Amino acid sequence: MNSPIPVPATPRTPTDWNSPAMQNRIRRRYAAERRFKALGLVSILVSAAFLAFLLITMVGNGARGFTQTEIRLPVDFARSTLMLDPAALKGFGADAALAGADIEGVTAAAADAAFGDGGARLLSDGAWLSVREAIKERPEVLQGKADIWVPAATSVDLAAKGDGDAAGEAAYARLKAANAVQTGINLTFLTKADSTDPTLVGIWGALKGSLVTMFVTLILAFPIGVLSALYLEEYAPRNRWTDLIEVSINNLAAVPSIIFGLLGLAVFLNFMHLPRSAPLVGGLTLALMTMPVIVIAGRNAIKSVPPSIRDAALGIGASRVQVVFHHVLPLALPGILTGTIIGMARALGETAPLLMIGMRAFLASPPGGITDPATVLPVQIFLWSDEVSRGFVEKTSAAIIVLLVFLLAMNGLAIYLRNRFERRW
Amino acid sequence: MSNLAILFLILGLGLVAWLTARAKAAGFQPVGGIRPHSRPNHHGWYVALWAIVPALIFLAVWSNIAPGLTMAAAIDTPAGATLPAAGMERSAILAEVRGLASGRVQGGFYPLAQEMVPAYQAAQTRYGIAAAALAVILALAGGAFAFTRLRPDFRARTRVERVVMIGLLVASLIAILTTIGIVGSLLFETMRFFSKVSPVEFLFGTTWSPQTAMRADQVGSSGAFGAIPLFWGTIFIGAIIAMVVAIPLGMMSAIYLTQYAAPGVRKWMKPVLEVLAGVPTVVYGYFAALTVAPAIRDFAAFLHIPGASSESALAAGLVMGIMIIPFVSSMADDSIAAVPQAMRDGSLAMGATTSETISKVLVPAALPGVVGGVLLAVSRAIGETMIVVMAAGLAANMTANPFASVTTVTTQIVQLLTGDQEFDSPKTLAAFALGLVLFIVTLLLNIVALRVVKKYREAYE
Amino acid sequence: MNDHTLNDIAAHQPAATEGTLKMAARNVNVFYGAKQAIRDVSIDVTQENVTAFIGPSGCGKSTFLRTLNRMNDTVASARVEGQITLDGEDIYSPSMDVVQLRARVGMVFQKPNPFPKSIYENVAYGPRIHGLAAAKADMDQIVEKSLKRAGLWEEVKDRLTDSGTALSGGQQQRLCIARAIAVDPEVILMDEPCSALDPIATAKIEELIHELRGRYAIVIVTHNMQQAARVSQRTAFFHLGTLVEYGDTSEIFTNPRETRTKDYITGRYG
Repeated sequence: MNSPIPVPATPRTPTDWNSPAMQNRIRRRYAAERRFKALGLVSILVSAAFLAFLLITMVGNGARGFTQTEIRLPVDFARSTLMLDPAALKGFGADAALAGADIEGVTAAAADAAFGDGGARLLSDGAWLSVREAIKERPEVLQGKADIWVPAATSVDLAAKGDGDAAGEAAYARLKAANAVQTGINLTFLTKADSTDPTLVGIWGALKGSLVTMFVTLILAFPIGVLSALYLEEYAPRNRWTDLIEVSINNLAAVPSIIFGLLGLAVFLNFMHLPRSAPLVGGLTLALMTMPVIVIAGRNAIKSVPPSIRDAALGIGASRVQVVFHHVLPLALPGILTGTIIGMARALGETAPLLMIGMRAFLASPPGGITDPATVLPVQIFLWSDEVSRGFVEKTSAAIIVLLVFLLAMNGLAIYLRNRFERRW
Repeated sequence: MSNLAILFLILGLGLVAWLTARAKAAGFQPVGGIRPHSRPNHHGWYVALWAIVPALIFLAVWSNIAPGLTMAAAIDTPAGATLPAAGMERSAILAEVRGLASGRVQGGFYPLAQEMVPAYQAAQTRYGIAAAALAVILALAGGAFAFTRLRPDFRARTRVERVVMIGLLVASLIAILTTIGIVGSLLFETMRFFSKVSPVEFLFGTTWSPQTAMRADQVGSSGAFGAIPLFWGTIFIGAIIAMVVAIPLGMMSAIYLTQYAAPGVRKWMKPVLEVLAGVPTVVYGYFAALTVAPAIRDFAAFLHIPGASSESALAAGLVMGIMIIPFVSSMADDSIAAVPQAMRDGSLAMGATTSETISKVLVPAALPGVVGGVLLAVSRAIGETMIVVMAAGLAANMTANPFASVTTVTTQIVQLLTGDQEFDSPKTLAAFALGLVLFIVTLLLNIVALRVVKKYREAYE
Repeated sequence: MNDHTLNDIAAHQPAATEGTLKMAARNVNVFYGAKQAIRDVSIDVTQENVTAFIGPSGCGKSTFLRTLNRMNDTVASARVEGQITLDGEDIYSPSMDVVQLRARVGMVFQKPNPFPKSIYENVAYGPRIHGLAAAKADMDQIVEKSLKRAGLWEEVKDRLTDSGTALSGGQQQRLCIARAIAVDPEVILMDEPCSALDPIATAKIEELIHELRGRYAIVIVTHNMQQAARVSQRTAFFHLGTLVEYGDTSEIFTNPRETRTKDYITGRYG
C-alpha cells in the first residue's frame, strides 16, 4: 500500500457551475429556500396570532364584566306600602322583620313611579336586595325619601357599555338624560357566587371551590407523588413489579382526563358513597390525575442529582434513607416543585372530570368545607357559556380572565423557581 | 367526639411519645465503649410511630363501619321497627335521619325520621366516645410497648427506616391501584352494559340515539346504541381535521424555531407556544363556540354549502388543532434535536441549502420520533373533551362534510352522565362502555408511540 | 514511533510536484466570539498534491479546514478574516454562492456520517440536489462510478438498497467519500477521516486517497503523523492556532526548520 499509485489518466470534465442552466437551477433552489423559511415564519405567526386574538377577544369581552351599571332609584318610603317599624330594625330580629316585608314590590313600584310604566324592567331582578341593604344600614330612611343606587337590568347594562340593543339604548339615553345612571367597579362579581341573573352573578363561589379543591389535590398528590418518585428512582429493585408501576405511571399521565372522571364517578361516588359535587371528591379525582405528573417531574429532578453526592454521603456512613432525605431530596426539591406547580396548573384548568362527578350544580353560595357542594372556575365558565342571556357573555369572559390570571401566576412561579434554583451539574 | 378531634388527639399523643422517647434516648451512655446504635431522634420516631400508626389504622377501619352500626342502633328501636322493609321510601327516610342528625336538613318530610333521630344521635355519641377511648388506649399501649424496648443497643433507626421504605412502596403502589381502579370500574360497568345491549350492536351499529323513552310501550324505548357514528366523529375531528391543522403548523414552527430563528425571536416565540399549551381547554371551547363556529357557519352559508351548522366539525377540529400545535411542535423539536449534528453538517458540506437539509435529511432521519409524537397528539386529541362538548354538537351524523355537526365519544360521555338518570340505566352504562373504548384506544396509541420514540432515541445514542 | 521510520515513510513519497494552485489562504484569522482560534495563516493548496494538516489537538487545524468550504458559517459566533480563494475567486466575497462553493469543495468528516437512507440514496443525494443527473440512467451511472472510485462498489453492488448505516465503520467512511465524489468536486477536505476506524479500514482509506490524488485536490487533517507521512506530499504543521511550518512532506519529516515542528514529530509533545 505504500507503493506509489500513478495519478489516474482519465481526463476530468469539471461541472460548469456558471452555465445558464445551472445558474437558473441555483436561483430556483434559493427561491425554494426563501419560501420554506417564510412558511416556517408564517406557521409560528399563526400560533401567535391565534393566541393574541384569543386573549384580545377575552379581555375585550371580559373587561366589561368587572364593571356594573347602577341606576339611582328614588324611593319614597313614607308613602310606600312598606309596613316596617324602624325600631324593629335595630338589633336582634332585624333580619326576620326585613324578610317579612315586601321590599320587592316597593322597589318595583318606585321604579315605575320614577321612570314611567315598565320602569321596573330597567332594574336588575336583584335590585330590591340593594334597597334592603340600604334599609338595614340606615333604618331612618323609612321615614322619608331616599335615593338608592341599584344594579341596572342586563339590557341597560349592555347599552351603558356600548353593546346594547335598540330598546336598551333608548332606556339608557333616557336615564342618562335624567342623570340617574353610573358605571363602576362590580364588587358583586368579585364577592358573590352564581345567580340566574347576569347582573348579580359572582365569581367568588367558584374561585373558592377551586381553591378548596386544589388544596385537597395538593395535600394528596404532592406527598404520594414525591414518595413514589423517591422509591422508583432510589430504592426500587429492577423487577416485574417495578416495571408494572412504571408502566402504570407513564400510562396514567397520558390517559384522557375524562376517564379519571369516570373513575371518580364509579369508585368515589357509587362505590364509596362520598358526597356528590364535593371538593373532596373533585380533589381526589384531580389528585389521581396530577400524581403521575409529579412522579415524572420528580424522577427527572432526582435523576439529575449526580451520583457523586450519594457516594459522598454513603462514604461517611449515612444510611440509604439518610442519603435520600438529607441530600438527594433537598437538591431535587426545586425541580419537584416546578413539576408540581405545572401539574397543579393543569388540574386548575381541568373541567371534564369534574363534570362527571357532579361539580356542575347551580350554587348560589360559596362552599364552606371540603364536603359541601361546590363548583370550580372552569366548570363555572362552562355553565355560564351555556346561558342564553347576553349578559353572561361578558361574565364568562371575565371568569376566563380570572382563571388565566391564576394560571399565568402559577406558571410564572414555576419558571421563576426553575431559573432561580435549578442548578446544572 | 368528631373524627377530626380524635385525629388531633392521637397526633398529640404521638408528639408526646416522640419527646419522651427522645429525652430517654438522649440519656443513653455508651455500652462497653460502643456508641448507641441510633440517634435520640430515631428512638423518638420509633415510639411515635408505634403510638400513631395502630390508632390511625383503627380509626380508618372504624369510620367505615361506624355509620352502619349507628344506623343499626337507630333501626333497632320501636320507631325503626315500623320502617318500610325495603325500597325507595326506606332509603329516603334513612337519608333524612342522617341529614337531620347532622343538622344539614332543617325540617323533614317523614315524621318517622323525626322519631328516629334521638336514637340515632344517641348511638352516634355512644360509638363516638367508644371509638375515641379505643383509639387512645391503642395509642398509649403502642407507645408504652415501644418505649419499654428502648435500649442503647436497640436499632431504632433500622426499624424507622423500614417503616419509611414501606411508606414509599405504598405510595408508589397508588399508581397501580389507580390503573386497576380505572380498568376495573370501566370493565365492570361495561359488562353490565353488555348484558343489556349486545357488544356487536354497540361496536358495529350505525344508529346512536340513547334517549331511552319514558314509557316501555313507546317506539324505540330501548334506545339505539350503535357507536360507529361517534367513532367516526371522533376520528374526523381529532385525527383528521385537528391533525391537518396541527401537523404542518407544529412541524414548521419547530423547524423555524430550531433551524432559522435568531436567538431573540426564539426567546420570545417559545413562551408563546408554551402559553398556548397552558390555556385550559374550556377556554378553547368557549372561544370555538363563541367566535370560530359562527364565523365558519357564516362562511359556509356564504358558499351555499348544504348542511352547514352552527356547531360544526370544522370549528371544533380547527381549535383543537391549534391547541395541539405546541404539543406537536415540542415533539418535533425534540426529535430533530436528537438527529446528530454530523448529519446536518454532512448535508450542508455537500452544498445543500438549509431547507434541502431539513426536508431531505433531518426530517426523514427524525421521522420515527415525529410519527411517535403525532400518535401521542392524536391520542390527546381524541381524548379531549371540552372543545368538542362546547363546539361540536350532539347530532350523531356519519358525514364527511366538515361544516356539518358531528358528535364524539367524549361529548356523548358527558351528555350521558349529566342528566338526571338512575345509575344502572343502559344510558349511563353506555358512557362507561364508551370510556372503555376510549381508554383502550388511547392506551394502544401511547404504547405504540412510546415504543417508536424509544427505538428512535436508541438509534442515535 | 521514531524519526527513522517516519523518515523512511516520507522518503518513499513521490516528490511533491510544483503543482497548479487551487486554493490559497492569505492572512486568515478565525474568531469564535472573542476567542481567536486561528492567527494569520497563509497557505497554498495545489491540485496535484495531497496536503496534510498536522498538529496537537486543539491547534486549530480542523477549524482552518472548515473555513475552506465555509462550514464555519453554521456556527453563529464564528467570524473569519483574511482572504481565501478558489481558482482565484474569493470564497468569502458576497458574490460567492456558499451552496455552489460546497459542491466544489467537498468534505469528509471525522466520524462517518451516512444519512439514514439507502446506500444508493446516500450517493445520489448530492447529484440530486444539484441537478447533475438528467435521467435515472445517468444517476445510476454516477452512483456506480462514485462507488467504484471510493473502492466500495464490489462490496455493496448487490445491496444498494440497504441502509447506509448498516455498513461497517470503514465502509461507511468510504460511502461518505463516494457521496462527496458524486457531485464531482474540485477539492476534497478530509477531517481526520480515519480516527474512528480500525487499522485495516484505515489502510483502505489511505489507498483510496492515493488513487484520488491528482483528480481532486485533497486536504487531509490528521493527528497520526505516520498517516501524514504516508499519504501527503505537502504538510502543514499547526500549533496554537498558528501555522508553524509548511513544506514538502519529505522535508518536514526529515529536516524540519522549526524546533517546534521537530519536537512534535519526534514525540516531545502532542
